[in-house]
Amino acid sequence: MTHDAKAHPPYMLIWGILAILMFAKVAVSLVGLPKWLSVTLLVIISLVSALLVALYYMHLKFEQKRVWVLAAIPLPLIAIFLLLVMQEFR
Amino acid sequence: MSAHVKATDFEITGFAGEPHDPPGFIRTYIFSTDHKMIAKQFLLMSLVFLLLGGTLALVIRWQLGFPGSPLPGGGVLPETMAPGGIILPEFYNSLVTMHGTFMIFFAIMPLLVGVFGNLLIPLQIGAPDMAFPKLNALSFWLAVPAGFIMLASFAVEGGAAGAGWTSYAPLSASGEYTGVYLGQQLWLVSLFILGFSSITGAVNYITTVITMRAPGMTWFRLPLTVWALFVTALLALLAMPILAGALILLLADQTIGTTFFLPATGGEPLLWQHLFWFFGHPEVYILILPSFGIVSEVLSNGARKPIFGYHAMVLAIIAIAFLGWIVWGHHMFMSGMNPMLGTTFMLTTVVIAVPSAIKVFNWLGTLWRANIHFHVPFLHSVAFVSLFIIGGLSGIFMASAPVDIQIHDTYFIVAHLHYVLFGGSLFGIFAGIIYWYPKMFGRMMNRTMGYIHFAGTFVFYNLAFFPMHNLGLQGMMRRLYDPNQYEYLAPLQGMNTFISYSVFALFAFQLLFAVNFLSSLRFGKKAEKNPWNANSLEWSVASPPPHGNFHGWPTVYRGPFEYSVPGRDQDFHPQWEPPDGEVAPRMAGSPAPEPTGFSTGAHEEEES
Amino acid sequence: MSHVASMAVEEPARDRGFEMYNAKLGMWVFLLSEVMFFTSLIGAYIILRFAHPDQFAGPGEVLNVPLTAMNTFLLICSSVTMVKAFAALQHDDQKGLKLWLLATIVMGASFVGVQVYEYIHLSHIGFVPNAEAYSAAGGAIYGSTFYLMTGFHGLHVTIGVLCLIWILWKANRGAFHSKRVAGVEAMGLYWHFVDLVWIVLFTIVYLI
Repeated sequence: MTHDAKAHPPYMLIWGILAILMFAKVAVSLVGLPKWLSVTLLVIISLVSALLVALYYMHLKFEQKRVWVLAAIPLPLIAIFLLLVMQEFR
Repeated sequence: MSAHVKATDFEITGFAGEPHDPPGFIRTYIFSTDHKMIAKQFLLMSLVFLLLGGTLALVIRWQLGFPGSPLPGGGVLPETMAPGGIILPEFYNSLVTMHGTFMIFFAIMPLLVGVFGNLLIPLQIGAPDMAFPKLNALSFWLAVPAGFIMLASFAVEGGAAGAGWTSYAPLSASGEYTGVYLGQQLWLVSLFILGFSSITGAVNYITTVITMRAPGMTWFRLPLTVWALFVTALLALLAMPILAGALILLLADQTIGTTFFLPATGGEPLLWQHLFWFFGHPEVYILILPSFGIVSEVLSNGARKPIFGYHAMVLAIIAIAFLGWIVWGHHMFMSGMNPMLGTTFMLTTVVIAVPSAIKVFNWLGTLWRANIHFHVPFLHSVAFVSLFIIGGLSGIFMASAPVDIQIHDTYFIVAHLHYVLFGGSLFGIFAGIIYWYPKMFGRMMNRTMGYIHFAGTFVFYNLAFFPMHNLGLQGMMRRLYDPNQYEYLAPLQGMNTFISYSVFALFAFQLLFAVNFLSSLRFGKKAEKNPWNANSLEWSVASPPPHGNFHGWPTVYRGPFEYSVPGRDQDFHPQWEPPDGEVAPRMAGSPAPEPTGFSTGAHEEEES
Repeated sequence: MSHVASMAVEEPARDRGFEMYNAKLGMWVFLLSEVMFFTSLIGAYIILRFAHPDQFAGPGEVLNVPLTAMNTFLLICSSVTMVKAFAALQHDDQKGLKLWLLATIVMGASFVGVQVYEYIHLSHIGFVPNAEAYSAAGGAIYGSTFYLMTGFHGLHVTIGVLCLIWILWKANRGAFHSKRVAGVEAMGLYWHFVDLVWIVLFTIVYLI
């Protein structure tokens, strides 16, 4: 650990935020917003939640930048695949 | 690093040379966790599958060379395959499918990744073993049942999978279309298990290369084989799961009635092709990159010159690996894909020619004005370069969509893929096996037999596969059961027969390799530590190396390609030899310096 | 273990330069391949849905959103207990470690249980993998994708629970302490990753 083992990340705080975000998602989904708006909001909220899990629970925030590079390797591949194949079915 | 870290670090004293209980027979030969033994196990398995795949090729060539005449000895085959020795069309479909599957997934891939990855990564980076030895054993023991399942599919009702090694949906998605039910499902299950085996192997290789390099072994002192295998492992790590996912979807279509790839109930058959080739194109580079590494190593050794442009070689490997992810659509020009996508994929594909050409010119630059030692692995490497150029050039034909319309799914493709997979990968494998045979088994392979095998293979290989370009341009389709069904193909029968004879001769020469391989185990000349006068770390230890490979961590002083350095008596300068006037800092048992890992000095400061 | 060299490698060696021991780095590398695995499954879902939007029902029409929302909450809670177990271990709090691990196991197993209940319920109302009746346009890919996506995630949770039980058994034998955290931390990485996948999956399968 590069960080002090005694000082933990704010685990419970993150938990609270994740729970709120999750219920926010359910609300957005069921409240009947226009499709484009609800999809955009849902995607943003879930990406934020996923990022929080990766940063704090998986400790990515406290790792060296090299681990970030490693963890980021699949991201461009996912983007390329989805974007190109979606052209197919446009 | 601080003292307590070292205490919990590697137990350096426990390496080879220290007395410990010798492992029993089962732990040594069957469930071994020693990377060298696992490499040998992979070698045995994949050579058996290479032979099997080759045998299937003989049967295919018999049917194409002499359509409709009974296969010699084919009477032993059951009625469902070849009644009276005459090959049935359904069986022929299984033959081409399984030939491709065996060769790609069970011969070339384990030969390159399983054998050389296991053997060379720890030895060339100076590590005692892999990072996860048990996971390594698991990787082999998953590959074996996968192979058995694949073999067993010949025996089930309906025969083995017959939808081609690419298993295009919807042909493969429902047994109604091919008459093959269980065989296709076994094919899917087998490849899923093999994919898992590849992923465990890849996790191991990547972790090992990152954390277990010997002191002084910086990233740019790694031999090119390690670079190639590292990048290959990354490709396998990221590509195999894509295949696994696609296989699961297809298996669900086959078994529980889902409709991912069945258009009748709303699925998308093209999705299979996208998923398969998104895996499949990186897979193509999994099958060739390790050969690039092996050939660079052997060419430099035979030429007694440093490899030309080491950094360019490394960057070219990385560039090829990345570009390999954005070109998959060039397999699909004729699939009815969005034409705009076709243009995109055509451009990205042509760009791959740039790093490939960098590699080829660097190999030629390595040979330029060299004082060459024509040993057998060197000859195979030169053959690799020349045949890879032919395969690469025919690749450019297919990369351009308008030309591909003419030659798509013809024998031109068959010629191309055999030029890169046989002429490329397999010649690289021959070079690698012969070059590292002494390190694996402690004996040299017979040179005379080696030269004869090389000459025969090179000649008959070209006689067999070069005419296929012509067949393809004249319109002969791949996977065609009987060319005489078409009037316009009937005049090509002479050429088909000629190819068949060449393939039979080619196969006979491979038997010579098997004889050489087996007899040298017993009768080969005893190998010294460094029979090729090479530089990399594996040649600093006995042949074969003991358990734990090195005494503690070796120290690395320079790059792996320092041949013919001016002012030295020897024409090579090994990585482990201290600079003149310095004494090696450590003997066995003394405290070892920290391995390099990803480390920079700064981090070690923080630790203490 | 007779193989001395490999024993040395398997020791919970502190990171050597990478600031990371092998087990943790290996888990990160393995998770990369898991990312790609879920890319092929979820990617297939996204592409099929993009190509045939009319074959999918809207949120809450077929699937029970409140039930799965509670289930999602359960998985998020299990993530926090997992990370608490790791924190307890860093303080050498053996009792805390075991209790938090146990809580994680219970919640993980409940998640799988609720999912199985949901499957049984859905199959009773006729929503099965090849159910054509449940999409407006008549195709069967809604059921196909739903079961394959959630099923393979559920399989990952199940494997995670089994591994957690094994970790708890080892913890009970005193295998971990503050200088020896590799097993728990690597396990935690896997568990949080599975949680992360569910956060994405819940959104695109149930809520969009």
